[in-house]
Amino acid sequence: MFYHCLCPNQPIGRKLMIEVEHLSKIYGSTSAIQDVTFSVEPGEILGFLGPNGAGKTTTMRILAGYLPATSGTARIAGFDVHEQSLAVRQRIGYLPETPPLYPEMTVEGFLYFVARLKGLPAGDRTRQINAAIERCHLQEKRRVLIRKLSKGFRQRVGIAQAIVHDPPAIILDEPTVGLDPRQIIEVRNLIKSLAGSHTIILSTHILPEASMTCNRVAIINRGEIIATNTPENLESGLEGSGYELEIDADASAAQQLQALPGVRQVESILAVSSQGSIPLKENRTCLRVTSEPGTELGRDIVSALVGMGVGVYEMRRTHATLEDVFLELTTEEKNWEQTGGGEEAVVEP
Amino acid sequence: MGIVLGNIIAIYRRELQSYFASPLAYVVASIFWLLSGFFFAAILLGPEGVIQQTTQLDLNGQRLGQPAVSIDVPYEFLRIFLGVLGSLALFVLPILSMGLYAEERKRGTLELLATSPVTNWAVAVGKLLGVLTFFITMVLPILAFEAIGFSYASPPVQPSVPLLGHLGLILLAAGVLSLGMFISSLTESTILAAILTFALVVFLWVIDVIAKNLTGPVAEALSYLSLLQHYNNFVRGIFDSSSLIIFVSYIVLGIFLTAQSIDALRFQRS
Repeated sequence: MFYHCLCPNQPIGRKLMIEVEHLSKIYGSTSAIQDVTFSVEPGEILGFLGPNGAGKTTTMRILAGYLPATSGTARIAGFDVHEQSLAVRQRIGYLPETPPLYPEMTVEGFLYFVARLKGLPAGDRTRQINAAIERCHLQEKRRVLIRKLSKGFRQRVGIAQAIVHDPPAIILDEPTVGLDPRQIIEVRNLIKSLAGSHTIILSTHILPEASMTCNRVAIINRGEIIATNTPENLESGLEGSGYELEIDADASAAQQLQALPGVRQVESILAVSSQGSIPLKENRTCLRVTSEPGTELGRDIVSALVGMGVGVYEMRRTHATLEDVFLELTTEEKNWEQTGGGEEAVVEP
Repeated sequence: MGIVLGNIIAIYRRELQSYFASPLAYVVASIFWLLSGFFFAAILLGPEGVIQQTTQLDLNGQRLGQPAVSIDVPYEFLRIFLGVLGSLALFVLPILSMGLYAEERKRGTLELLATSPVTNWAVAVGKLLGVLTFFITMVLPILAFEAIGFSYASPPVQPSVPLLGHLGLILLAAGVLSLGMFISSLTESTILAAILTFALVVFLWVIDVIAKNLTGPVAEALSYLSLLQHYNNFVRGIFDSSSLIIFVSYIVLGIFLTAQSIDALRFQRS
């Protein structure tokens, strides 16, 4: 049974690299994940975004073949993760939450071990190990014992072991946790450089990372996927984007602005966010104009203000960041579902 | 097939390498060598030792005018010494096997093994071979100083006698290590694994004692199952195929149970 898994038949023309359908994992009476459905195209980077305990690690572990699912299917490169486990394991690189490192081995020795474990042919081993070491900037630490490495380097060795055998699918569970800002940027660049020739799914609770690195983001909370889309779509779909103004007028200007088409709300604020706590000068008002989703109000606001003879000191666009999306989605799930933005449908941009 | 063998070799090498890099393993080996060296000297050369006893018997016999008793000194010595070695090994083996899986779980490296294209049993076989090889390197120096001792024997000692005895020791160790590996796969705590394996060893010893002191079908069955009894057969130079089968059965049982327990682990993991 094992041998036929090692030399499997080619799957029937599958376009998607990772397919997850109605995946659930239940422990006794609690469900870790429920009815999770998403897919990843070849060459794409999918971000799995969620607070701690949302079910990201559980999903990653099921995909990697470490945990069996209670129900649902998961397929990588067309092979079922449960039925054809060995075939899947040959095609994935996996970095768990804690990098699986042997403290008494050197970086090089460890990568050789992993290369053998993953079935890399002897002739290719040295070349691919060198490539992995170079990509992860580990050259100067080749002969160093792993237990002597700092956290940042250990994380890099963890990533190196996930890519050493050049797998088509790479699963990274919180790849930048515990790294300093410079190391985080390096890791992100590394991940981006891998896209295209590899398919990557990574989980994180660092929101800017998801929007910077990933093509698409799936937001998961309490075991359920609540949104899957590109970061831009998610950000622009959220209410709360608009402009902040500092003008020399009184509140009447606010009412006129409210009348503009596409304006959802105009409210007074204490200060434009860029100024922090600088006290407001006399006769100046700060307003926040919130636009309806999808409308761009900049020009209309300026025309209206000029028409009113109002002087503008500062006009600042406010974007909903992915953070706002995330907070909104994970605290007001009902609203999101009602406005129809939270379907699990995979939107192909 | 080549891939599976390659996997086993990779895991075997890593395991062996980790034993040679482990301070605990060196401490265990040192104590083993110290004690076995002490017993070697005591049993062979000491006042209660084989040589003295034989000389005494000879002298007594001469005084009483009886013909000289023919005693196979090397054989007697081996019988006693291997008995002691067996007991020493039983003390030491749980410490060697305790970390086989428990350490992997503690370090998080089991996740690497479980998500790589290797089967559970291949991992178990690789690990068992690794720890067994380490045990064999612990036994080799002892063989060496036995060889030196026996080179002074006349008539010369047939090498098959000590070799068979030590083969028995290694098979005994393999059986205990295999079961110890299974116990190690049940827990994350190496200390708990060591304690449980010690308990297993005591249990095996108790079975042996019961088998020796009872008669009847129960005693016979226990005697057949007892690892120590079969070890004694090897020590006495009796190469019985049923002994070999029992040893191999224990080894295979340990590997099988280990593979099952790792599987069961994933189904429960939280």
